[in-house]
Amino acid sequence: MTKIIPLSMLFTLSLMADATLESIQKELETQKQKTATLESQVKALSSASTNQSASFSQNAYLPDIAFILDMSAVTRDVNNSAYNKYAIPGFMDSTDTEILFNPNRGFNLNYAEVALHSTVNPYFDAFAVFHLQNNVFEIEEAYVITRALPMGLRVKAGKFRSNFGRLNKKHHHSWHFDSQALIYEALFGPDSLKDPGLQLQWIAPTDTYLMLGLEVMQGNNAQSFGYSENANLLVTYLKSSIDIGENISMLGGVSYAKGKNASANQTDIYGIDFTLRNQFDSYSSLIWQSEYLQREKHLDTSTDKQDGFYSELIYEYNNNYSGGVRYDSITKNETDLSAYSGVDTDNLNRYTVMFEYKPFEMSRLRLSYTYDRSKIISDERRSINEVMLSLNIAAGAHSAHDY
Amino acid sequence: MKKIILSLMLGVSVLFANINVDTTYSTFGAIVKRIGTEHVNVTVLGSSKYDPHFIVPKPSLLAKLRRADLLIINGGGLEIGWLPPLLRSANNAKIQNGAKGFLDISHFIPMIDVPVSVSRAFGDVHAQGNPHYSTDPHQVPIIAKAILNKLKQIDTHNASDYDKNYQIFIKEWQTYLTLFDTKMQECSTKKVVQYHELFNYFLNRYNIKSYGNIEPLPGVAPSSRHTIELIRMMQKEGIRTVLQDVYHEKKSAAFIADKTGARVATLPHDLGALKESDTLESFYNTIAKQICH
Repeated sequence: MTKIIPLSMLFTLSLMADATLESIQKELETQKQKTATLESQVKALSSASTNQSASFSQNAYLPDIAFILDMSAVTRDVNNSAYNKYAIPGFMDSTDTEILFNPNRGFNLNYAEVALHSTVNPYFDAFAVFHLQNNVFEIEEAYVITRALPMGLRVKAGKFRSNFGRLNKKHHHSWHFDSQALIYEALFGPDSLKDPGLQLQWIAPTDTYLMLGLEVMQGNNAQSFGYSENANLLVTYLKSSIDIGENISMLGGVSYAKGKNASANQTDIYGIDFTLRNQFDSYSSLIWQSEYLQREKHLDTSTDKQDGFYSELIYEYNNNYSGGVRYDSITKNETDLSAYSGVDTDNLNRYTVMFEYKPFEMSRLRLSYTYDRSKIISDERRSINEVMLSLNIAAGAHSAHDY
Repeated sequence: MKKIILSLMLGVSVLFANINVDTTYSTFGAIVKRIGTEHVNVTVLGSSKYDPHFIVPKPSLLAKLRRADLLIINGGGLEIGWLPPLLRSANNAKIQNGAKGFLDISHFIPMIDVPVSVSRAFGDVHAQGNPHYSTDPHQVPIIAKAILNKLKQIDTHNASDYDKNYQIFIKEWQTYLTLFDTKMQECSTKKVVQYHELFNYFLNRYNIKSYGNIEPLPGVAPSSRHTIELIRMMQKEGIRTVLQDVYHEKKSAAFIADKTGARVATLPHDLGALKESDTLESFYNTIAKQICH
């Protein structure tokens, strides 16, 4: 090709030996243009490739799939049969007990979870989390969120974990401890606050993060709500965050949930949460997270007034090692405790300490010790000692790091 | 009268209606500033102090994303661990993936080190190839062109200014590159090892051979066995330079340097990661200076 062009130009030149310089230059210009056109055609043809994909193949549209496994080995100074009927006085009786995580001493396979995410179209993202346990299939969450609403608005619809407080939204595998915070278990049970419903969130167009949320939910939660004749639960919250320099960040929120309980009376729950995080470098940080929840549960002739909090301190040494402590306490328990006469029901609290090793992202080994003074076992207040080694893996689609 | 006030207000609002551009990393931010100049407000989401794979998803970033007109990402999987949930919770339709205000620069870059097979058994490999292309100064014109076209698309009003700024910038950059390349010629016989494969685009460009990494697999912390193997290899091959970034631990490199007599060169992986790297020119100069020494 490159040889032909100069040759042809030479040929043209010799033909027009007596032509004027001008006309030769003109001819040269034309030839150059022709060459350029040909070159671009060659380039276009060589870079395009034929479609080699299987006809009707839709593999490229498969949702992101993550597969999460959680298991543990437990030693505990209480028999399994007794432990499986524990009570938290004033909150759950031994007949209500439903233990989702680590019920047995010995070995537990807590769950195999499948989490799916896909962008449905320009307007919706869809998520589903299927929580699988021995003989249990649960749609833990299945919802859509909007992608294209204006003015900082977003709607979530389906079954989802409420964004009440700090911890409620988080799945078990992203908690810092294997057990649920005591006040959450007491007020919402092991499932936390999750229901079919609608959520509307708005972010203010300000320099400082300010988010206002409103949720209307079915209110199935038996622990605090549970009125089944219509949707009964309304949740609202305000969250804000500020940074001090590049390394220190704070997140705080106030939440309120109002609904009807099984006795068709009103339950009010107030929550306040605060998180302080100091990032030392990319992999090392100190996180202090605390939440206080208060419940007023109206019954036909009386009102239960209860509150409690947890506070935890987590130190990430690097991306492999971290450790933490948590203190849980029920600070007020004004309710009918006559079923526990003769049993000490004051100062329900719990101490937990944990040490974590992550050989690599997506897998976590955690050793924890719990000193639990919150439970009544076989009509007796017991201080329970528990040592647990748990393993959690998240394979498949990369789950994002948590704040 | 009403009309005059209205058109005045419109005029004023157009005059001051800068577009908010968020970039995930600082090198893109600097390029946007060179092309957008006074018409853009640039916010860099991920500090160059930190590992670009592990930017802390602080809630304050949501406020920044909420008001962005344009989000420019590196792509190639570099933001997968921190950005997607933030983007979903920022409630900003303008910058969702697929919207006009979303730009993935990796879609314009010929990616290198694309793995033939992908498994997490090989560590945290990026299926799309090595995402650290911005350490190579020859990628800057490609990045600038992609940014120019996007800015013109979302802010048609100032398109001619963007074109003008781009022309000036590219001219300056070509002059800079010519000089840079000449200086780099002295360096082409260098042999190095790296902590993480952050500088492959740069090293490939200037024919500097990288013989291995301090981390045994991408994202996996160094093991003593791997370190000893690396030291033996370095001694055999006569490698005298260890490339260290600012955010990984420094003990391994110091140990290796001690055993082999090699020099530890600390490089910025992104604009501003080191003191003398807060302009585009000084960023690449520092990389060159540290490698060639």
